[in-house]
Amino acid sequence: MENLEKQKMVDDLLPQQFGKQGKIWVAVLITLCVIGFAAYCRQLSKGLVVTAMRDYASWGIYISNFVFFVAISLVGSLITAVLRLTNVHWSTPLTRIAEIIAVSAITFASIIIIVDMGRPDRFYNLFLHGRLQSPIVWDVIVITTYFFISILLLYFPLLPDLQIMLKYKERTSKWMYKLYGMLGSFWKNKPEQFKITDKAINILSITIIPVAFSIHTVTSWLFATTYRPGWDSTNFGAYFISGAFLVGAGGVIVAMYVFRSHYNLKKYITYDHFDKMGKVVVMLALLYLYFNVNEFLVPAFKMKKPEEEHLRGLFTGEFAPIFWFAIFTSMLIPIMILITKKGRRPFPAFIAGILVVIGSWFKRFIIVTPTLLHPFLPMRDVPASYHHYFPSWEEWAICIGSLAGALLVITFFARIFPIIPIHETITETEEHEHDKK
Amino acid sequence: MIKNNYIVILLLSFISVASFAQDAKNDLSLNLGYYNNNNYTHYLVAHAKTKKDGRFQTVPDVTVSFYINNDSSAANLLGTAVTNDKGEAYLLMPPSAKDEWKKSAKHSFAIVSKASKLYDEAKATMDVSRAKLKIDTTDDRKIIVTVLELKDTSWVLVKGAELKVAVKRLDGDLNVNETQTFTTDSTGTITAEFKRDSLPGDVNGNLTLIAKIEDNDTYGNLTAEKVVKWGNKFQYVSQFDRRTLFARRGHSPWWLELLAYSIVVSVWGVLMYLVGQIRKLKKLGV
Amino acid sequence: MNTNDKSTSRREFLTAGLLAGGLAVVGGCSSRKNPFDDDVTAQIAPSGEMVKLLSVDGEIIEVDKAFLKPVPDLPQVSNEAARRGIAGKKFTMVIDLSRCKSLKKCQAACNHMHHIHPGQNWIKVYPMQDADHTSPYWQPTTCMHCDEPPCVKVCPVDATFKRQDGIVLIDSDRCIGCRFCMAACPYSTRVFNWEDPGLTPEIADKPYSCETSVPQKKGTVGKCDFCPDMARKGQLPHCVSACPNGVFFFGDMNEDSVTNGSETFRFSDLIKDKSGYRLMEDLGTKPSVYYLPPVNRNFPFEFHEDDDSTENKVKSKS
Repeated sequence: MENLEKQKMVDDLLPQQFGKQGKIWVAVLITLCVIGFAAYCRQLSKGLVVTAMRDYASWGIYISNFVFFVAISLVGSLITAVLRLTNVHWSTPLTRIAEIIAVSAITFASIIIIVDMGRPDRFYNLFLHGRLQSPIVWDVIVITTYFFISILLLYFPLLPDLQIMLKYKERTSKWMYKLYGMLGSFWKNKPEQFKITDKAINILSITIIPVAFSIHTVTSWLFATTYRPGWDSTNFGAYFISGAFLVGAGGVIVAMYVFRSHYNLKKYITYDHFDKMGKVVVMLALLYLYFNVNEFLVPAFKMKKPEEEHLRGLFTGEFAPIFWFAIFTSMLIPIMILITKKGRRPFPAFIAGILVVIGSWFKRFIIVTPTLLHPFLPMRDVPASYHHYFPSWEEWAICIGSLAGALLVITFFARIFPIIPIHETITETEEHEHDKK
Repeated sequence: MIKNNYIVILLLSFISVASFAQDAKNDLSLNLGYYNNNNYTHYLVAHAKTKKDGRFQTVPDVTVSFYINNDSSAANLLGTAVTNDKGEAYLLMPPSAKDEWKKSAKHSFAIVSKASKLYDEAKATMDVSRAKLKIDTTDDRKIIVTVLELKDTSWVLVKGAELKVAVKRLDGDLNVNETQTFTTDSTGTITAEFKRDSLPGDVNGNLTLIAKIEDNDTYGNLTAEKVVKWGNKFQYVSQFDRRTLFARRGHSPWWLELLAYSIVVSVWGVLMYLVGQIRKLKKLGV
Repeated sequence: MNTNDKSTSRREFLTAGLLAGGLAVVGGCSSRKNPFDDDVTAQIAPSGEMVKLLSVDGEIIEVDKAFLKPVPDLPQVSNEAARRGIAGKKFTMVIDLSRCKSLKKCQAACNHMHHIHPGQNWIKVYPMQDADHTSPYWQPTTCMHCDEPPCVKVCPVDATFKRQDGIVLIDSDRCIGCRFCMAACPYSTRVFNWEDPGLTPEIADKPYSCETSVPQKKGTVGKCDFCPDMARKGQLPHCVSACPNGVFFFGDMNEDSVTNGSETFRFSDLIKDKSGYRLMEDLGTKPSVYYLPPVNRNFPFEFHEDDDSTENKVKSKS
């Protein structure tokens, strides 16, 4: 490839400064984070009573938010590992987006779970007195492992890019330049170095798949290891993982669109990418729909006593609006949009992606709280407010704050590091041209 | 739930005509009970109650003074105790009562609670005649209980005393057969057949039989105990150290520990190896 | 004559049972070992402090302070002892549904003695009706102290644990408030301290004991504890003593005997004769609480929809 073309690519892909929109975006996110933090301080001083959770609905949107974050973080393994290992090349520009979504999501999953704890001051008890028999301990282990692998999967492919960025001191600020140096000044583009990183990335891609499957399976076991209707399912691991891939893919489409339009990356994230990701989302949505049919229609056929109350509550009762909203917005409508070629153009795909993400958030709520409000024994000898659950403003503020925080991490990452791998893009284009000849 | 219906319950109550709810003190009623445990130690129990909304309620935190003989002079003070949450105050018979106790076979006790902000002064007295129970057993699992009363210096058989015969268990006593209470005949004895076959005993099969007289107007509460080998041998094996999913930390099943540690070690081994590779990259970049 | 009998019988005094209905005094001469070797009270170490008492015969005797009953306040057991439990016992409860009238004296006593938050009830009395044509009845429900407790399985920090005497307790100093145990319990018996329980400083400053479950702490879980502190003193749990209808029976399954304070039955006979059962047996939790079916009920079943006193007592906190 000509040097001029290479230069243009580098130019396009180096991190860009925030424009006016970018600054407003960051300001809004920071405000939401601050409000969330203030709400958390209030919760710390008064206790979890500031939430709407009570003895029956003892897990609320903090936990469904946690499940949502863990679900979205699986996208890292999907795009980076699964597609890479199956020799798919069109997804290469999307790997770093996927990885940073994964890292950011898993970080905030850990944060929101600490927020949900009644005594976060005793967090160290998990390490001092942890019981290996508890699914929560398994969750801590696998999430930590996944986080570490994702960080490494961000780092290794970043090294060649760091070397490129170190050449453009004038395009970056002083502290960022220092950061690049700290992280990768030893990278000299030597073939031996490439050999090591290629091997490392391969090993990580293989390792991350079972670990990714584990994090969401173990998270599903937080529910499936109990007796409750709606949770007592042998299907939960696969159900959760398929849902996770769906929401992750939807999230990637949203990120793709945003970066593409705001950083002018139309040449690198093309219509073809949206087309292919759109098809992936349709496939995953159909798969998740299949699991939902199994999860809901089979118990509905039997209508066992404890499940009858629960299922009626979901289909036609108190939770019906949210349930049907979740099913339609996370699966049915996106399928209808993305199944047509026109629907897989960037903007419609972006809308479908947003619907997937929003619908999936509410779907996680449907998984968590309604089961708790349909216990085996009647709800009795409790204050009247215990029979229902609608999150308080503190819960909303904290959840929205955590989502804003995750977006903030992604935004700042894209500001500091190239969101599309420069070196890989150059290499792939050269190979492509070479193949053509 | 101790029933204390003793002889004289004195209530000194003032009902002030001019005052209603605000100033009127409640009536406090005191009951006194005497308990003799297995003819070895004995003690007094004071029970404080008050009537509220037409129902009796126990009263905690009332200081009660116990006296031997019917007058509440300082010389006869045995001790003081404060009623607990259940409205009961106990006093174990102190050595200071020795002289009075040895004087006769009949004794009177009195309790007094001083007037307080909430309650007026209350008193109660009780007369007790010394008596005891004797348990004998035969080889064919029959229990013979004798009731004796001390008259002057000799023990006299008591006819017509009601008593229970049971096996001592945690918190309660299990009757030895269907009969709830026995009444002594003219020979001052009762015979009870032990019908609780195969009842678990201790590791040697021992059971403790207990004969008791409860809330007797003359004698108070008496017990006598005897250990017999009529129970099943029971060897207790603690499950506390078994490795299960619900055991404490460090006691999970072997298969779980093996699985978890091997997975963690192998995955993190790979990750540590990769971190080592970064150091190698650094070296190559020099 | 009598002296010989007394000393012989006392020397043979090895019993696995405890003392009778509430009040008794354990005596031991200073020269003799504590005769109640297997006894709960014997698991209390002799303090070495002797108390002089007058015996029934009018002699002055000395008894170790720790063996006196009724003991004012036993020294608090250590955390390790509270986690291990009382050896030799397997506590069990039998609830006679034919006697329950939903007076909720059990609830009031339990709430009061454990100083819990006003909106909480560790004992819940449910109006139950198993099917459309079956008879309705009141069901007081405590913690089941399951032999395979799902709550203990899922606790990440060993804050809830099963002891060797069968009791499942909570260590409020260890609990991190994740509420997984609450999700896992199928009997909905666990409650959470969403806010400060509102204790007086006197109680709030007490060191926490797993056996008394006092003081309750914000951000931790609470539940019925079968009152092991009472068992150590040889007394019945508060709910058992408080019920005027004798609905609750408590005892040691290893002794095959349960009592409600006034009546004592042989446990195996009671369950066999009255066809006792356990709740949600098919879940495999192996509860320690047995129910006697509501046959030949003592009281008619009266139920009003808005009868939930807790509902009306505590204003919504949302």
